[in-house]
Amino acid sequence: MAAATPRIIVVGGGLAGLSAVIKIAEAGGKVDLFSIVPVKRSHSVCAQGGINSAKNLKGEGDTPFKHFDDTIYGGDFLANQTPVKAMCEQGPAIIDLLDRMGVPFNRTPEGLLDFRRFGGTLYHRTAFAGATTGQQLLYALDEQVRRFESEGKVQKYEGWEFLSAILDTNGACRGIVAMNLRSMELKTFPADAIIICTGGNGAIFGKSTNSVVCTGSAQSALYQQGAFYANGEFIQVHPTAIPGEDKLRLMSESARGEGGRVWVPKDRNDKRQPNSIPETERWYFLEEWYPKYGNLVPRDVATRAIHKVVYEHGMGLDGQPMVYLDVSHLPPERQHKLEGILEIYEKFVGDDPRKVPMKIFPGMHYTMGGLWVDFNQMTNIPGVFAAGEADYSIHGANRLGANSLLSCIYGGFVAGPKAMEYAKGLAPQQGDGGHAAELIRQQQYNNILLNNQGTENPFQIWRELGDTMTRHATIIRYNAGLREADQKIVELIERYKKINLSDKSQWANTSFAFARQLYNMLQLARVIVQGAELRDESRGAHYKPDFPDRNDEKFLKTTKAVYDDNSDAPKFEWEDVDISHIKPRPRRYDATA
Amino acid sequence: MAITAPAPPATPPLKGVQPLRAEGNSFLWRRLHSLTGIVPIGAFLIEHIVSNFEVVNGPLAYAQQVKFLNGLPLVRVLEWGLIFIPLLYHALYGVFIAVRGRSNVNVYPWAGNWMYLSQRVTGLIAFAYILYHVLTQRFMGVSLPEHPGLAYAKVQFELLSHWYAIPVYVIAMIATCWHFAYGIWLFAAKWGITPGNVARRRFGWVCTIGGAALCIMGLVSIFAVAYSRPYSPDDVMPAQYNNVVAPTVPPQQ
Amino acid sequence: MPTTIEVEIKRQNGPDGSGAVENFSIPYRPNMNITSLLGEIALNPVTKEGKATTPITYDSNCLEEICGSCAMLINGKARMACSSLVDKMLEEGGGKIKLAPLSKFPVVRDLAVDRSVLFENLKKVKAWVPIDGTYDLGPGPKQAPQIQEQRYPLSNCISCTICMEVCPQFNDVTNFVGAATIGQAKLFNMDPSGSVLKEERLRALSGDGGVQECGFAQNCVQACPKGLPLTEAISDIGRDVFVQKVKDFFRA
Repeated sequence: MAAATPRIIVVGGGLAGLSAVIKIAEAGGKVDLFSIVPVKRSHSVCAQGGINSAKNLKGEGDTPFKHFDDTIYGGDFLANQTPVKAMCEQGPAIIDLLDRMGVPFNRTPEGLLDFRRFGGTLYHRTAFAGATTGQQLLYALDEQVRRFESEGKVQKYEGWEFLSAILDTNGACRGIVAMNLRSMELKTFPADAIIICTGGNGAIFGKSTNSVVCTGSAQSALYQQGAFYANGEFIQVHPTAIPGEDKLRLMSESARGEGGRVWVPKDRNDKRQPNSIPETERWYFLEEWYPKYGNLVPRDVATRAIHKVVYEHGMGLDGQPMVYLDVSHLPPERQHKLEGILEIYEKFVGDDPRKVPMKIFPGMHYTMGGLWVDFNQMTNIPGVFAAGEADYSIHGANRLGANSLLSCIYGGFVAGPKAMEYAKGLAPQQGDGGHAAELIRQQQYNNILLNNQGTENPFQIWRELGDTMTRHATIIRYNAGLREADQKIVELIERYKKINLSDKSQWANTSFAFARQLYNMLQLARVIVQGAELRDESRGAHYKPDFPDRNDEKFLKTTKAVYDDNSDAPKFEWEDVDISHIKPRPRRYDATA
Repeated sequence: MAITAPAPPATPPLKGVQPLRAEGNSFLWRRLHSLTGIVPIGAFLIEHIVSNFEVVNGPLAYAQQVKFLNGLPLVRVLEWGLIFIPLLYHALYGVFIAVRGRSNVNVYPWAGNWMYLSQRVTGLIAFAYILYHVLTQRFMGVSLPEHPGLAYAKVQFELLSHWYAIPVYVIAMIATCWHFAYGIWLFAAKWGITPGNVARRRFGWVCTIGGAALCIMGLVSIFAVAYSRPYSPDDVMPAQYNNVVAPTVPPQQ
Repeated sequence: MPTTIEVEIKRQNGPDGSGAVENFSIPYRPNMNITSLLGEIALNPVTKEGKATTPITYDSNCLEEICGSCAMLINGKARMACSSLVDKMLEEGGGKIKLAPLSKFPVVRDLAVDRSVLFENLKKVKAWVPIDGTYDLGPGPKQAPQIQEQRYPLSNCISCTICMEVCPQFNDVTNFVGAATIGQAKLFNMDPSGSVLKEERLRALSGDGGVQECGFAQNCVQACPKGLPLTEAISDIGRDVFVQKVKDFFRA
């Protein structure tokens, strides 16, 4: 079975998944790539601002170590340092590779890669392709995978959803169960190792900057099968999103990287058009509070500042939870570098951000936590690997802008070869390796869901989950609120059991697929709120006014949630953080030194 | 029991529009169609309209023009090889193209889309008209190659004998010139001569002015031949007898 | 201001099912888009007449017009559902919004269609840079910013297939490849390393259904939600294919 050509399944076709696929195909492995959507439509496409790497092409003396230090410091020392260091060291090579793949990175007049500034660093370290870098990177990898696909080295299963891993009697992974989203058929697929690259879980918060498929369902399914889920409480709220009816649309940090400024009128009753308010009557609160980094403080810091201005100072625009993000003063060539995102704003809001300031507010954006993995990107389930936003490594308590694209590609580049290595050493499976049993388990689940005779609508449950999570588990957290949220989730899980699907057909039934994801979202939501409740400190994106300081003594630890079958609830343990390279120091962006 | 059946193909056979197969010669035929529209057909159209413009100078001038053209070497070979056969190919392949398109100006009423439709409509009008025109004027009635002096009278008779003749000729003239002018513009766009928007816009003006000029010349000719003088069935260039004797052997020195 | 939004949706159970129209009446809120409207129906799947029905099946993902999923016919025209704002569509539709699946692709169910023909075509034109490997080989070739300025717009193609839907030549008689693929062929022909496959791409585009089928109605460039210079690409590729054909003729 574990013969000369290992068979690997990659779940998720974003940057991490595609990176892993490329490495495996290149090494001669056989890959099946599963994705809910055509891989070219994966959520990585939404990343805007750029990708970090210390190429030092601006004569600033930037080094991978400085990148490493910024990342660790930005993540409030919660990330294990060894993989972060490796990632930062590989950064320049990864950028070069993407460049060779034809990514249309912006150029300097000499024809070299151009770099812009991003939050949490003082260096020009972010390579970019306009303001749609994620799209360009995803396409470059998608094209490479299409090439392998046409050579027969990769088999794509687009429109299939991962439901669970198949575990043999020793608890090792032997394949997956997946559902065809058109025929709704369940099928098992054999594999020597699987790599989970299914991104974040924004949908748990209802409205977020994430895509529709970012439910965290696959991670949650694995957590319920025994995988550790680590640092679930660390959720990045992006400071600048466009509030919307159906989602929060990201307004990239690159807007500030290119010189955009955040402000509100000094007089909260100022009814003038923003452009007619003179400079002296505007309050550039980020620049005032953080003179060194200004508008480019890390995201958690900027988000809390905006939250404070709106809710503590009562200075939101027209009393609404919004502040200005202004790029209207920038010269046209700078605005041109932001074309993609300015168009988004213009299309969805109707105002031209080249002329008037944009109205923005923080929005749930990134999942720092995820499946626990070792330094080889393998989870605690043998044969199950994870990479990208779906795993917890790299970003610690807060991710720096433009580090996610790098971490996804890095994660995939590690997970692919490591999965191959593991598969080559794998002993042959006993019997059917658990395929039949797992398939039956999933079919039973489907039957229950289809034959329920309750009154609940899954979309209604989802809406309530999103409201609860956004209220209690985003920017500001209180233990009482988190407990309330957990109770609410338990109630929603009870109500879930009474779901009556209005559509019971067995063809392209999207609400049925969604109902399956919803259950996993509910389970994962508990990991988030309980993890947050237990962490009585403030670190990075996790902020508790009742515990405003970081507490390294008690909490310089990775939170690990384990699903407990009997109580149908998470149990928690804590693991020391690898601080072998940089000694933790206080994180102060307001200091001028 | 083998539960783990081999994977089915991820993409079942496609329905609807099929992907590229990199086979067939339609590129050649399509480009030939495009090219024949310019040379020789377009070139002939210019020649024809310019020649016909001689009618403004009267029956004799017109007759001389007709005679001159019919006196070209290998004129029958030229007529078939450079006019009839290319024209027939252009027309038939054009109909083939037209029936394969699915015009949607009702949904997308954009300028380029209207022009797409207009090229097909004007092409069909021109085809029907030219068929009729060639049959009646070239192959029926008095044969002009033999009797160029009757050219003016034949055309005048044609235009005045039916009430609908002049409207038909006017419509056909506009349609043909429109088809030709936009055809040149399309040729430049599709063959990559004017890839940029600015180039296409500028060349659009060139084609519009050229096409309009051609069309006006044609329309002036129609009205000139129909109304500028009363109908007369006389041959303005009666049969010339071959009484011109070849020069004798030059005197020996 | 209206209190409800009247929506008429063309529905179809499956690829072979017959179409039926259902009407919905959705409570009005300002600043809605078409995808949020479809979300409201999922929350309460009841028709205007009060008949219980099923949520609408449609493709969507990013909801910010970058993933290319949610193309459909809105008031008869091909557009992205996420960036089509309800207020605007209501005004255009005279107080009513009509939704239907794209008409040139096989319907999967309701508003979801199968657009895999585009991805197949991207394989046919080898829309990639054939790099030697992913190991570290140093930076790519230098590239003038002017070249990047030309390549970047083409690289913004989101594969929504709207350019194909609106094209009068894209149909199952011509099997025309459509503007999107031609644009990608040009993109990779312009890349210093990608150009090694230029001849193969041009040959692929010279067969039946190739670039010659374009009738230059220019609907593609009008309808493209990302404003790609598609007619320019068609023009350039048209020339390059011709030159390639001539070369092949004399070389053969």
